[in-house]
Amino acid sequence: MSRTPVDDVCVAIRSDADVVAARSLGRSLAEQHGFGTTDVTMIATAISELARNILKYAHEGEIVVETVERGSMSGVSVVARDDGPGIPDVGLALQDGFSTANSLGLGLPGTRRLMDEFEIVSAPGSGTVITAIKWRR
Amino acid sequence: MAATRQRVHADDLADSIGLGSEELAMRKRFLEFDDDDVQRLEGMYGLTHEHVDAVIEAFYEHLLSFPETTSFFRDPRLLEHVKGRQKNYFIRLTQGDYDHDYVTDRLRLGSIHERIGLPVRSFLGMYAFYLRQIAALLVQEHPGDPEHAFQKFHSLTKLLFFDIGLGVDMYIHQRERTIAVQQDAIRELSTPVLTIRDRLLVLPIIGILDTSRAQQLTEELLRSIRESRAQVVILDVTGVPAVDSAVANHLLQTVEASRLMGAQVIVTGLSASVAQALVTLGVDLTKLNAVGDLQGGIEVANGIMRYQVVAIDDTIPEVVDAGPDPEAG
Repeated sequence: MSRTPVDDVCVAIRSDADVVAARSLGRSLAEQHGFGTTDVTMIATAISELARNILKYAHEGEIVVETVERGSMSGVSVVARDDGPGIPDVGLALQDGFSTANSLGLGLPGTRRLMDEFEIVSAPGSGTVITAIKWRR
Repeated sequence: MAATRQRVHADDLADSIGLGSEELAMRKRFLEFDDDDVQRLEGMYGLTHEHVDAVIEAFYEHLLSFPETTSFFRDPRLLEHVKGRQKNYFIRLTQGDYDHDYVTDRLRLGSIHERIGLPVRSFLGMYAFYLRQIAALLVQEHPGDPEHAFQKFHSLTKLLFFDIGLGVDMYIHQRERTIAVQQDAIRELSTPVLTIRDRLLVLPIIGILDTSRAQQLTEELLRSIRESRAQVVILDVTGVPAVDSAVANHLLQTVEASRLMGAQVIVTGLSASVAQALVTLGVDLTKLNAVGDLQGGIEVANGIMRYQVVAIDDTIPEVVDAGPDPEAG
């Protein structure tokens, strides 16, 4: 298992400034892990979307970015965790243009497209954990 | 009168950093600071009163033996003044009633230390020094009864940790306030709407575009569009480090609002990777008139406004003209 100087990053998300911090820390981790510019931007954008969702719906939570290995594959995983209201209908939340806040409604479906793997664990009242992985090509 | 006014100001101080009576009670519970501690501390009043001068003199002698702290107290009058304050502080530890007034007094002290730039380590060193001095005094006072001395010392430790918590909170609070003021200043500075030429505006956006900044930026732009009756606006996002769906949404809304004010918007400076990420996200950018860079944006604006840039040809002397481009339509 290859170790980069920074192997994981955990950022508490409480304000817009934290979104910026999570994004830039995730970006440098992905760069160090050998991702190309386009993939780095996709990962950074995904972190941004997930962090903004935390602020919008749960008001606070955390983003953990770390390097992952599976077999011969190597990549970066982004975990967004909060104790907010949870998502009542995950299927609906993954549809383009669906938003309970006044936004474009692209956060979750868009993030799924930006990343290679995407998983939501959530239920009303018990918070949300979203795990998204991007593999290095 | 002055005292009353100061009291009011001090009350604001505790409240303004979120130290209501509930929070203070919780802190004391956490330190297990109770009535027995209060009683023991009050019982030490005689001791602190008797030794205050010696302890404070020793403390400043210690403090001034470090060049780093000497610089804070060059003025002998200032030194006398702060010694006086420290004596009050020291005796106050054993005067009971550790509630609101006590807290505001401690906060004020912390805010003074922060203002003069005393490092937190010196501030903490002061508490450690007092603890050592009082420990020695207690041992002297209770020869052959170390348990009694230890109990008193314990109570004092709790109170000093309570004080440290207040002091450190005050340091953090002041720094955060400074940061907030600077952020506001940066915001004010960072939305210049530039007039390139009659009815052509350029808005270079530098830095993070969050909701409040996007709103301010849109307002500023719409005001400029009305004032200068702008026909074309170039929004240059070269200096925006990341564009996600929320930022894209802000941009789209700004474009839409500008259109309703009669101005066409050209967005320039989206990098290739940002463009790709936005398309993957699924942002509908068909309403966005995007051009690669600012130079290209100005060229497109010239086309829309029917301007042409012509190089001066030195072989034809008559063309030299400081006025507006004669080709302008």
